[in-house]
Amino acid sequence: MSGAATEKSGAGRLALALAALLVLAGVSLAFRFAHLGATGLPVALGIAVVKAALVLIFFMEIGVERPTVRFACAAGVAMLCVMLALVVADIVTRTVPPLADPPGTEPRAQG
Amino acid sequence: MDESVAESFESLDKQAHAVRLGMWVFLASEILFFSGLFALYAAYRTEHPGGFAIGVENNTIVHGSINTAVLLTSSYTVALAVHELRRGRSRRAVTLLAVTLALGACFLGIKAAEYAEHFTRGIYPGGHGRFFDTHAQAGTKMFFTLYFCMTGLHAVHVMVGMIVLAVLLGRVGRGRVVAASSYALAAGAIYWHFVDLVWIFLWPLFYLVPGSGR
Repeated sequence: MSGAATEKSGAGRLALALAALLVLAGVSLAFRFAHLGATGLPVALGIAVVKAALVLIFFMEIGVERPTVRFACAAGVAMLCVMLALVVADIVTRTVPPLADPPGTEPRAQG
Repeated sequence: MDESVAESFESLDKQAHAVRLGMWVFLASEILFFSGLFALYAAYRTEHPGGFAIGVENNTIVHGSINTAVLLTSSYTVALAVHELRRGRSRRAVTLLAVTLALGACFLGIKAAEYAEHFTRGIYPGGHGRFFDTHAQAGTKMFFTLYFCMTGLHAVHVMVGMIVLAVLLGRVGRGRVVAASSYALAAGAIYWHFVDLVWIFLWPLFYLVPGSGR
């Protein structure tokens, strides 16, 4: 591939990544009005994870970084996953009654 | 030795690697900073699904969605600026950085309009305001408190990113950062992309998914 072609493909990859990100944002927005119920959150977060991966790979160039840099990135993401997993695990496995609502608020059954 | 290489580094390559590694370690700490708030969101949303559903349905989806497109596009323009600088096209890089800054300012302007609309409707941080007279659920108050806290902290990061990019724009414009030292701009751009990454998750959580709590 010639130098000019390589240059174009570099800029073209960035443009394609932006197009993919905007399309995925549009899909997320469309699902907002599809009333998916309980599956809405995992679907929206799944799309967000794909968008984040596109930003990491094409804009932040994590794939071509040295192992030490990739390790720093992976460590941050891993710690985030551990924190979220422990918090959610705590909540969904609680057997004690939930905390009382603060004064001046309506009963928990409504929110 | 090349003047752009600090005394503590053997080569420009090692200096560039150190800058990138330093930025990523800093971003890992930033991930932890935001992860505490995301964990709070997960905990409160699980405890108060109905209140959070009301919060999402009363949020300003138009402002949030336009800002998503603005921030994604700004990530593209700053990535393209790095691409152009690496090829020695400093003027194009400066133009693209100026466009990125304009998009950042646009994001903050829309955010300010969004907050103003909330205040007009009587939605203030901490569950204060007349909106909560008719929506007194604990979950709705927590939703909007987290909303102001997380989007406010994100907006502060946008401002810091704009300052970083403005400084880099000046250095590229004056020829202090060139193709050989484009790693400096790349590091600043990585911070801007991180700001974009955080918003990618804030948008569905605060604007898109009311859930099945009602």
